[in-house]
Amino acid sequence: MPDSAEELEQQIETLRAAVRQAMSAGDRPRARALRAELRTLEDAWDEAVESLAPEPEAVPTQRDGASILPLREQVHSALTLLSVPAAPKLIAQVYNACFGGDINSAKLTSLRRDEERSFRSAPFARPYYLCAALTADRLAPVRGLLAISTWPLDRRIIGPLSPRVDFLTAAVSIAEHIDRLPGIDHNAARLLWLFAENIPGAADGIGSAKPDTVIRAARAELLAHQPVDRSHREAAAARARTQLNDTDRLFGSHLRSVRTGTDS
Amino acid sequence: MNSTELRLDHLRGPVPPTPHNARTIAALTSNPACARRAVMDSAGVDKRAVAARVGFPPPYGQSPFAITRTRAFESQVKANGCAELLRMLRELLDLSIPEVAYQDLDEVAGNVSHEVRHKLARQVLGAAATGLDDGGTLFDHPLLRLPVGGRQVFLEPDLIAFQFKGTFHVIEIKSFAVIDGQADGGKVAATAVQSAVYVVALRRLLAELGHDPATVSDRVVLVCPENFSNHAVATLIDVRRQLTVLNRQLDRMTRIDSLLEPLDAGLTFDLAPDRDGKPTRPVGELCDALEHIPARYSPDCLAMCELSYFCRNEARGTTHALGRSVSEELGSIESVATALALASGGLPPSPEQAEAAGVLRAALRLRNECFGLPA
Repeated sequence: MPDSAEELEQQIETLRAAVRQAMSAGDRPRARALRAELRTLEDAWDEAVESLAPEPEAVPTQRDGASILPLREQVHSALTLLSVPAAPKLIAQVYNACFGGDINSAKLTSLRRDEERSFRSAPFARPYYLCAALTADRLAPVRGLLAISTWPLDRRIIGPLSPRVDFLTAAVSIAEHIDRLPGIDHNAARLLWLFAENIPGAADGIGSAKPDTVIRAARAELLAHQPVDRSHREAAAARARTQLNDTDRLFGSHLRSVRTGTDS
Repeated sequence: MNSTELRLDHLRGPVPPTPHNARTIAALTSNPACARRAVMDSAGVDKRAVAARVGFPPPYGQSPFAITRTRAFESQVKANGCAELLRMLRELLDLSIPEVAYQDLDEVAGNVSHEVRHKLARQVLGAAATGLDDGGTLFDHPLLRLPVGGRQVFLEPDLIAFQFKGTFHVIEIKSFAVIDGQADGGKVAATAVQSAVYVVALRRLLAELGHDPATVSDRVVLVCPENFSNHAVATLIDVRRQLTVLNRQLDRMTRIDSLLEPLDAGLTFDLAPDRDGKPTRPVGELCDALEHIPARYSPDCLAMCELSYFCRNEARGTTHALGRSVSEELGSIESVATALALASGGLPPSPEQAEAAGVLRAALRLRNECFGLPA
């Protein structure tokens, strides 16, 4: 058991003074030795202070079960709930609100690249991959969106109307999920408001929304966009099926520079 | 290559020209009378390096914190298919529900080269202007081009163009706050000029494609955080005045010959960098070259010109260094010493100085009364 914290503090003070004196006298070796001693004492002090604190409470920063699952599993469950391709930030918000997790969206940036590498080295070795959404015009990967490889291809195609359609579809999925919960906690309410605020007729008042109102409003707006969007997506998906190989179909094709010699 | 371009190349020395951006083009409009700035900008001289060489390094630049904050706010507004932006546009302009199409022009299938992006922007905006294929509504980061001083400048844009009822609008997202309906006047003014640059570039692009440039609205949508929250709010700003100033200034830059006319043929701002890129040009020589072109320093320059500290030092003792209102008040009196002499009556005023001399004498009398000094 280390000495009491007060005793250690006194010792540290005197030692610091000694270090200062050694330095001003130009005695570097001695100062170094004293510093090492100082560090041991400080560590002991840390320990002593730790033991002073009351037992840590049962509210850890990570909520139950959050850290047990690997990151890709967490992202998979958030995406499955959303049912549409989503940006890392939204994925993190959804997972943290609906699964009580603690994902930092910054960690998701390299995920797609890792998955692509894994797929290239052993194609279809995993039951699912976190892959890219594809642009409808060039079948290139969409910036900053994650999707799941087992989804039908047209769901992963992003045409001009798709960002809005996906937002509304996600709103419906999230609202349905929250509606099934026994009660709405603070995090869920915030997530729901994120959607409700930006859908006409979905908000109840400032900062409050009810799941069924959100569902109704989102479906009403969806009616306006869905037919056109579906035709864009299906056409692009058909092209992707015939034109792309397995890897490109999941992770998108890149524009390669071609030397034609006719360039001005 | 004509003689003007040769002259400008010689002025700059054997280095690539410093590219313009919306900020530097906007800065051109704030002090149009300054020949030094006009010439150096047309030649694409690296003013920052020149200022540092002559001993007045500009102590500012864009703060990394401000840039991060702007990026974060921009991505928030554009998140989830521009959800927030659509809400604001629906409130502000009565955008109808079906108009939600969004086109990301920030990269072309992973290719971010300026030429490719500009081609795509032309293609997409051209198609939108034709009105075929319902064209799309929001165009994120179209890369525009504007000829400045005879050179094509790519404008790395920070905007969304937006089509509504056949009219294009420019949307500018800024991270300064609008508090209780009021924003910092200086920042709004700077934003208005920058947006005007984009309006000019967008109009030019449509005109090149054979469309009516008037389809680009002269009102821009400014999106800012509201009060002390992260909640975004959109406002319309009229930029007609800025457009006039900008067009005039851009025209003037193409007529750079008249400014080059009186200059020495051998004049150059070449820093003669050595192998490590360190300038070797003698400081005195460079100062002489700078002083050869007349400048028009005013205190506003400090906020936007890299050379301003050099010019301020040079302008010490002149009345226009004290700001626009003072120099307008004092009319034909150039130096502070003359002004003081006129005030004390030590110098008989010439006929054109008479009025200003009266004002100065009155000011001196008032000052003496205030301080209890003998008149």
